[in-house]
Amino acid sequence: MSALASEMGRHRGSRSGLGLLAAALVAAPVVVGIAYSVLGALGVVGPGADGISLRHILAVLANSATWRGLLWTLWIALASTLAATILAMTAAAVFRAERGVDRFARVVAVLPLAVPHVVAALCGLLVLSQSGLLARLAFAANLQVSPADMPALTHDRYGVGLILSLTWKEFPFLALIAFSVIARAGAAMEETARSLGAGALQTFQVAVLPNLWRGLLPSMTAVFAFVAGNFEAAALLAPSSPLALPLLTMERFTDSALSVRPEAFALVLLGMAVSLCGVAAHEWAAHKAEA
Amino acid sequence: MWRGDPSINAYVDRWVAPRLLRHYGITLRTIDGQGPAIVNQLVVEREARARGSADLVWLNGETFNNLRKESLLYGPWAHRLPAAKYVDSLSTIIMRDFEQPTNGFESPWGRVQFTLIYDSARLPAPPRTVAGLRDWIRDNPGRFTHDQQFTGTTFLKSVLYAENGGAQSFQGGFSKKAYDRGSRRLWAWLEGVHPYFWRRGATYPAGVADLHRLFANGEVDFTMSYNENEVITKVRQGVLPATSRALVLRDGSIANTHFVGIPYNSPNPAGAMVVANFLLSAEAQLEKLRPEVWADGTVLDVRKLPPEAARRFGAIDADPRGVPRDTLRRYEVPEVAPEYTERIARDWKARIRANTK
Repeated sequence: MSALASEMGRHRGSRSGLGLLAAALVAAPVVVGIAYSVLGALGVVGPGADGISLRHILAVLANSATWRGLLWTLWIALASTLAATILAMTAAAVFRAERGVDRFARVVAVLPLAVPHVVAALCGLLVLSQSGLLARLAFAANLQVSPADMPALTHDRYGVGLILSLTWKEFPFLALIAFSVIARAGAAMEETARSLGAGALQTFQVAVLPNLWRGLLPSMTAVFAFVAGNFEAAALLAPSSPLALPLLTMERFTDSALSVRPEAFALVLLGMAVSLCGVAAHEWAAHKAEA
Repeated sequence: MWRGDPSINAYVDRWVAPRLLRHYGITLRTIDGQGPAIVNQLVVEREARARGSADLVWLNGETFNNLRKESLLYGPWAHRLPAAKYVDSLSTIIMRDFEQPTNGFESPWGRVQFTLIYDSARLPAPPRTVAGLRDWIRDNPGRFTHDQQFTGTTFLKSVLYAENGGAQSFQGGFSKKAYDRGSRRLWAWLEGVHPYFWRRGATYPAGVADLHRLFANGEVDFTMSYNENEVITKVRQGVLPATSRALVLRDGSIANTHFVGIPYNSPNPAGAMVVANFLLSAEAQLEKLRPEVWADGTVLDVRKLPPEAARRFGAIDADPRGVPRDTLRRYEVPEVAPEYTERIARDWKARIRANTK
């Protein structure tokens, strides 16, 4: 018995050893990047390096534009992730049967995955801008609107157009995960709840939602981290003030004064910290879900 | 080189490159990159002691200044080119790059002048001075803006000159006193008008391409360009409405030259010099000047050329959409030290752009 247990233990140990190696290989370039950014932020390496000093990092932290950009980016990331998650959960719940219409809906929901983010953002710009498709449709419908009469959905301070475009792109990704979570969970728990007299909504709340939530958590974290760091969509749709963190970072990196480069590295590390907070939040939520 | 304009790309890829191959056996490969990206690249290459990835770079102004400061340019070499004797060496616009002597570290390629662009169908009588523009903006709220990059900064510099009695107040190297005094008037001008800008000045288009789009879509009534002839090429491409016209502000139209330089670690500087020499040839300069190609001004002194070549320069049709050459010359003003440009760009971002109400 103990021989079998230790055999299994060793097998699990070598499996987790292999897993660790794979993770290390994937993480290695990231670790190198972080190390270079740390040295760059301290002024040791990179363009604009002029000797080790904390002043670049302090300059970044003391600048109000940094915090406004960070908060604005957090707003966009949270709003897009939440919206995409709610839509994905709804789609997974509504179309979880195996009828033709459900299968068709599941395929359609996943189609935007094929569209690159920058194309989705560009479409957002072409459709939602004040002289875009919506405006032209309104004009064609004899609404006599000029661009200035249309609501400002792009380059606006709440990032409505940006959130819409990002949600449209992240929803299929989360929906795909949600569909597979529901499929794997199977109908057993639902049937049990139903046979115990639960109504449709209660069944969903008790039997489907917890599983779905737990299954989606890692993907939600990934989406949050991705959106928070996304440059192309922000470059096309975000306003110039408050300036989103990725745009602020790029501005520092391409500033004509070389001496400002270390600040760009500091901002990169700040962006990384945001993603790490997302991961930490995931760990905490996953723990709570386990308990 | 900057790859953001299809007409420039077409000239380089489909006219210059085949001729370099045919006449000199040189294969020209262009890589996207401009300004600070080039500086970043060269600094990183030096750090890594890597082999150079570029032989020739397209640059001017602050980029040239930064590369020289960091000793990232090979040279001097430009005065050794056979074609250099035809360059208009009397023009301070050409021989100095943002007031800095080029000292043979870069070879001139073309010259341009800043203009506004308006639609004569929408606006038959546009304002022609900075003061007139201010009044127009106030009377037409939400119909004017400028971009956040190079072209927008040049517009701000034009206002700076206009509000301070001309470029003379800023010539002779960078002066902090002159900057502080001059910029105060610039910020006052901007604070008076930016609430009447597009979107009430809460946001600005990222680059000049975005501004062209707003103009073409009818969201604003003005766009602008660093190249006085861009209106011609863009109308031919169908990007701007056919009734677009260029407008030179009577307070002064900033003129400057763009150059090519050789990075310190170029693997083939000799080849790069042959390319630079070809770019300076009358044939290449003439082709570049044509409105259906690039409409980029020549750096050659036409009077120094053999008469046949000189005649062909004179025969280029003036497109009615463009600004007549003598008007351009009359109002041309030079660039001043690059520190002014850097400061204006930075302070604008901190004071005006961040100031959302």
